[in-house]
Amino acid sequence: MLILLCKNSGAAAATQVRSITKRLLATAAADKTTTTTTKSSPAAEHFDIIIGGGGLVGTTLAAALAKNATLADKKVLLLEGAGPFKGFDVNAPYQNRVSAINRNSIELFKSIDAWQHIEAARCKPVKQMQVWESNSDALIQFQHDNFASDVACIIENDLILDAVYARVRDSAPNVKVLNQARIECVGLPGAAGAPHSQVKLQDGRSYTCELLIGADGANSVVRKEMGVDVFSLNYERMGLVATLDLNTEGDCDNSVAWQRFLPSGPIALLPLSDKQSSLVWSTTVPHAKQLLAMEPAQFVDALNEAFCRQYPRVDVVDKALQALNAFFGNSGAQHQRQYPPRVCGVQERSRATFPLGFLHASSYVCNGAALVGDAAHRVHPLAGQGVNLGFGDVRILVDTLATGAYAGFKLGDTQHLIKYERKCLAKNVPIMVGVHGLHTLYSTEFSPVVLMRSLGLQLTQNFPPIKNLFMKSAMG
Amino acid sequence: MLQNYGLLSRIKISHALVSVLSRNICLYNGSQQQQQQSAETDREVKHHEKYATDWWNKNGPLAALHALNEIRVPLIRDGIVARGNVKSHYINTTKVLDGQRILDVGCGAGVLTEQLARLGAQVTGIDLGEELVKAARAHLSNCSPELSSRVQYEAEAINQHAMQNCESYDAIVVSEVLEHVDDKVALLNSCVQTLKPGGSIFITTLNKTIPMWMGGVVLGEYVLSLAPRGTHHWDKMIAPLDVQRILDTMNCQTVLINGSTYDFWHNTWRWINSTQLCYALQAIKQKPDEYASSH
Repeated sequence: MLILLCKNSGAAAATQVRSITKRLLATAAADKTTTTTTKSSPAAEHFDIIIGGGGLVGTTLAAALAKNATLADKKVLLLEGAGPFKGFDVNAPYQNRVSAINRNSIELFKSIDAWQHIEAARCKPVKQMQVWESNSDALIQFQHDNFASDVACIIENDLILDAVYARVRDSAPNVKVLNQARIECVGLPGAAGAPHSQVKLQDGRSYTCELLIGADGANSVVRKEMGVDVFSLNYERMGLVATLDLNTEGDCDNSVAWQRFLPSGPIALLPLSDKQSSLVWSTTVPHAKQLLAMEPAQFVDALNEAFCRQYPRVDVVDKALQALNAFFGNSGAQHQRQYPPRVCGVQERSRATFPLGFLHASSYVCNGAALVGDAAHRVHPLAGQGVNLGFGDVRILVDTLATGAYAGFKLGDTQHLIKYERKCLAKNVPIMVGVHGLHTLYSTEFSPVVLMRSLGLQLTQNFPPIKNLFMKSAMG
Repeated sequence: MLQNYGLLSRIKISHALVSVLSRNICLYNGSQQQQQQSAETDREVKHHEKYATDWWNKNGPLAALHALNEIRVPLIRDGIVARGNVKSHYINTTKVLDGQRILDVGCGAGVLTEQLARLGAQVTGIDLGEELVKAARAHLSNCSPELSSRVQYEAEAINQHAMQNCESYDAIVVSEVLEHVDDKVALLNSCVQTLKPGGSIFITTLNKTIPMWMGGVVLGEYVLSLAPRGTHHWDKMIAPLDVQRILDTMNCQTVLINGSTYDFWHNTWRWINSTQLCYALQAIKQKPDEYASSH
């Protein structure tokens, strides 16, 4: 269309003038008021970057963009569907939604100055992780030599949000946060001839931007508009979370994370403080509903049973494991086994469930848009990797955008955004395949599989190079 | 070996590349050789104008040229920064080239021109292909007013441009142009005329080597037909040392020669240690006193 116009020599100039006037009008209208209705003004406020979704990953991304020297002059809009963040009370009881944050993510928080805030409030370093299963004696323990550094850190999700919101509020003048902003539809540049990405909210306001970032979770609206292929699986399981009181005697400092694979799914105990831990129990949907409805005392009994109950054994597996341990010269391997502290109570109203699934977008970027976090990938919580993968995306995306902007690329240019996708795929896919593989491997009691997984786990436990490899990829 | 394969697609670029320099034959009345050269220049211009409408299609025939921005923009940016003319607080920001005047010789439809302007530079793009300049202007009209105010396109030859713009640019960019030009000396001479003393001239082109010719011309054009036959000619390719020698006679000191190659399987350019394939070169126009002292 434009090219046709330009056949006349003067037309190019005319088009240019028209587009300039249009844009000037657009900014003028945007400056005047933000409460314009769609009917009275079709002009939309323009931003460099719009982040759809103000969850953990989206808000951290906003803070990281503001912190980057090259991107500090970009106008950023953060859209959050919920109301204003209520803040975090360090004296309130522990919350049920927590994350195991790995070293890479901690580095990210340090780089955006949010880590001090988290450390000053409350977070629990995990010194060791023990993973074992129900159908054999196979067991693995992860820790750094002499417990020199932490395996991970257990932090409440709301505390992370509080820390990154504080950064956005205090030191990100270029970031604007819009609450109660539910995205109705988005438009991408390209086919329709629109030069920019657009976002229309349910209340009628609309915005345009150079780059729209979908941080809007597993049901991402942005991803749907991008039209990328999505590979997804429903695990037909629920995750149940709760805050638990422990019966710890004496000097136990509760710094071990425990996970046991049961035939119905893994159950994990993540330390929150010396006396409290957080529960993540993945199980079948009916069982989860049943657990949710139980009386507290009954629920506690079910929990303790889940960690200690003996399941039917397979003789061959036991023999094979003994042989393997003898080969590695630690016939008494099972004496390493520790048992988790007894649970003695569950916090009131801390039980909640959420569905579990696997999802991976075939592509993370297109012209004018990119996906981060759960919008691009969703994994089983059994390795605590979901949110860490999202924070990894944030690091890579901010780096890529900064390098691209410093080389004169437009923010939404696929030519350069594709580098973000390549790096992310290389980082995410192996972990996602691994986590999904573990889930599949441990959701059966079929003896040959039990044999294989037990031998595999025990080999890993006894063979430091393999073990370090896993630790490196999971803990960053 | 894979690297050599990379070259095959290198010719895609050459479709794209437009030679700007035309020797103005009127000045050399009637010489048969000049007429031949002018005919050849016309052929190159027409060849490239065929792709005017597809020029900005990142997945089209010029995909490799778009991809080249990934390495040539940082080269130009860092080359200018290294001269110490950039205010320190602009470094690492998107205003890094603020106030720098750059001439993009053989700009085509402005793939490089716009991107340099986005870093704050005041860029003039010139090209002989009128269709290409039209396409460049049309694309610019969709850009933000700040950006369009920093870019100017002219459909004219470098020697004409040089007459009115003597010593007025901080940097000259001659990217993927030299291999389509017969009289390189005249082109570079006009370029250097427009350059301020102390300014830089950046050149990217392909080397005159057997591997480049085998990969780019023989395999690419005649065996795999990745590009139309006759896009590249051995006669027009030039080795970095020759460019350096020409620039030396024009009082320009070469400070950098980097080799590069193109991986067609994922449309990416990268720097390599060898200049056997493609290369980028930066030279500095000496100030008169420096010149006197060095000779």
